[in-house]
Amino acid sequence: KENGAGLGIDEEIKVTKKRAPVPKLDENRLLSPAGIPKLRRIAKERLKFKGKGHEYSDMARLLNMYQLWLDELYPRAKFADGLAIIEKLGHTKRMQTMRREWINEGKPQDSLDSLGEG
Amino acid sequence: MELEEASQSTVDPEVRAYVYSLVSALGGTAADEDGRYVLGDDALACLKDLKKWLKLHDEKANRLDVARCLAEANLVKGDLLEILSAWPEAATEDKIKSKVALACLELLVPLTWPIEKNDIQMTVNHHRHVPYLQLAQTSYKRAILEHESATVLRTTVRIGLPSIALPMGERSSRDEGIIKLLLYFFRNVAMISPPQNLPNEGKDGEVSRSATVEAFHRQDVLALLLTISSNMGEDFNTQDTVIMEVLFHLLKGVDVEKLFMDKKQFKSRNDDDLKSLLAQEAGMHRSYAKNAPTRHNRFGTMIWVKRDDAGKVSTVSGQDVLKDSQQALSKMDQTKKWNKPKQRVKNEEPAYDRFDMPVPLTESASTHLRAFVEEFLDSGFNPLFNHIRKAIEREAERVLEAQQQQFFYLVSWFLEAERVRRRRKKEAKKRRRDKKLEETFEADSFALIATVLNQESFILLNRFMQDRLDLKSWREVQAGMRCFTQILLIVQDMAESPLEEDQEIAENIQNRIFYEETTHDRIIAILRGYKDQGFGYLDSCTELSHVFLRILERYSRENVDLQVRSRRRARKSKKATVKQRQQTDGDDEDEASEMEDVAEAERVSRERKFDFTRFSTKFMTQACIDTFVSFTKYYTDLDTEQLKRAHRFFYRVAFKQDLSVMLFRLDIIALFNKMIKGPEGLDSAGPMFREWDELVRQLVKKMIKKLEQRPELAVELLFSKINSTTYYLEYGYDKQTTSSK
Repeated sequence: KENGAGLGIDEEIKVTKKRAPVPKLDENRLLSPAGIPKLRRIAKERLKFKGKGHEYSDMARLLNMYQLWLDELYPRAKFADGLAIIEKLGHTKRMQTMRREWINEGKPQDSLDSLGEG
Repeated sequence: MELEEASQSTVDPEVRAYVYSLVSALGGTAADEDGRYVLGDDALACLKDLKKWLKLHDEKANRLDVARCLAEANLVKGDLLEILSAWPEAATEDKIKSKVALACLELLVPLTWPIEKNDIQMTVNHHRHVPYLQLAQTSYKRAILEHESATVLRTTVRIGLPSIALPMGERSSRDEGIIKLLLYFFRNVAMISPPQNLPNEGKDGEVSRSATVEAFHRQDVLALLLTISSNMGEDFNTQDTVIMEVLFHLLKGVDVEKLFMDKKQFKSRNDDDLKSLLAQEAGMHRSYAKNAPTRHNRFGTMIWVKRDDAGKVSTVSGQDVLKDSQQALSKMDQTKKWNKPKQRVKNEEPAYDRFDMPVPLTESASTHLRAFVEEFLDSGFNPLFNHIRKAIEREAERVLEAQQQQFFYLVSWFLEAERVRRRRKKEAKKRRRDKKLEETFEADSFALIATVLNQESFILLNRFMQDRLDLKSWREVQAGMRCFTQILLIVQDMAESPLEEDQEIAENIQNRIFYEETTHDRIIAILRGYKDQGFGYLDSCTELSHVFLRILERYSRENVDLQVRSRRRARKSKKATVKQRQQTDGDDEDEASEMEDVAEAERVSRERKFDFTRFSTKFMTQACIDTFVSFTKYYTDLDTEQLKRAHRFFYRVAFKQDLSVMLFRLDIIALFNKMIKGPEGLDSAGPMFREWDELVRQLVKKMIKKLEQRPELAVELLFSKINSTTYYLEYGYDKQTTSSK
């Protein structure tokens, strides 16, 4: 920089803009309030099934709910791609412990105790 | 000027000059001889010189210059084939003429020799010549198969006949060499196929499989192959692998079912094919028309999709979305631009080793080929394949790496052919019996294919599959799988044979196959280990698992006390022996020494009772299910048999083993939904549609029930299940064993 003044100036003018980081669908995003916590909430609110004889419409409703949820969580990915990413995330340690916790929350407490004792 | 120079510079001009002068000295068509080909004065010497050039320049220096020059000089079509066709049948005794013919063959073989592309030895020079030479070889094949005036193949057979006629003991090494040369020539001709990545001249039909079969039939090559293979081990010895290669290149990819159809069936099948294809296309148009816009494309509709209570909306344009909300949602998804990056699948295998590409045959070609196959099964199968098996076992030098795979593929192919042939015979007999009321139904025994059903073959096959599985050499594993599948199927046919002897043998074989637990484990390992090996592999491994499970299920039901030899890790059994010692405590040194043995040998084997339910649970792991799911993803291209296979598997998972939780994953559910409800779903008029519909309906019913009982499943739907929670999700309480510990 000291040798050639002109060169030095040229170099300093060069400002390389860093590319904006691409948002990623990772554990943090999945565990954020808009992620699985929200899914748990809306699943409880919105999943009302018609039952027998309406299997396919029920299935469509279910799939639509997940699609809209995923679209809000990570608008970038198509439904199938997003599902694949999330499935893969499910294999990480952190997710596995979380998943176990969620299931344990759902377990009826008294039966859990009795099983633990037995 | 410049252009010419560039084309000249592909090869050293001096080499080119030498080669060209040799070619022109060979002979030519003469105007004063009515355009007949006249040999040059020193034709024999010229041929020998050309051979030397090929050998000393091309092979030694690892170049392809001379081959290129010869291709450009039109040697094969212009000279060699002319010389061969001018060798009249009456002149077989003529010493000089037969010598010239032999010299021609000696040149034809290296010129048609397949160019192996994946060599490490490939040089810049090779890269320059290979595409040209591949095209040239295709044109050689065309010229050989379709020579106007003569039968080139038959002529070459005549070159070999004197040597073949001699008994094996009296043949000199030169005679053996001639026979081998002849067979290699047929191999090369059978093998050459138009290169896929190069432009062809639009005349594929002339070098297609059908044309090859027709020419081989017309010019008695098939008869020669039959003779040699049925005398294998008596009059012939080292020719087995070459014969097998010819067979492989003739038969690879040929559909056995179609081959054994008679003319009527073939025709009606073709008609049905056309009809069903048209119907399918009409169906596709209909499903498109359902969603097609009813106005012009600038009509400009736009709608809002309400998302949630907060009043958020997204916009979707196009009038098709007005009709139903499902359409709007799928359009929202489709318009996203980003795709999840995928690993690129490498496909670098040479095409001529592939056997899972279907090859169509014309009607007459398939008639000839079927006649050949039947005769081969009757006379040549046992001697040839027994001989090759032995050669592979003692690792004979002539057996090349790729030939083992060809061996197993051919065994599987012929076993299937034999099965189909028996079935057709039975059907024909039944029909005749209905008419004429014949009461004696005479069954043939399975002796025609017995040599591949002995213990040695099973050992070889098992070892081969295990080796190649360890080496991750998938194409070869696939050949092994196909072979094993066909063996299972033929043994099953055998068990149903009316002959008591056959039943006994079948019983025996099944016992041997199912006795080894390593076999069971291997099949699971193969199914579990699928990852991007391509559709052919996927098809083979799902078929194998399907067939294996079904036959084993029936067999273990009939033989309740089936024993298997299981191998376990030494550590475990050590623990067991220690425990045993603690219990009995009285046993003497014998056991101590035995324990040492156990420690020395890494594994120990012992017998235990076979439990089918426990075994089939091993198939219900996530990895196996994933394999079947990726198979089902091809549902638009699967035929009835394949759809049935997938259906049975999922049915087994969900309702026989009570593990439907494993299928409750959104991508699987979405796939099933798409299969039934479209867009681009299964053909609703197809034979498997109803069964699938029923399966999916039941599955969804179960899932919805589960979701209502256990809302935590809503999250778990996203993931593959963890072992420990699967049981809870299915039954609502933990497994007793885990909680007691």
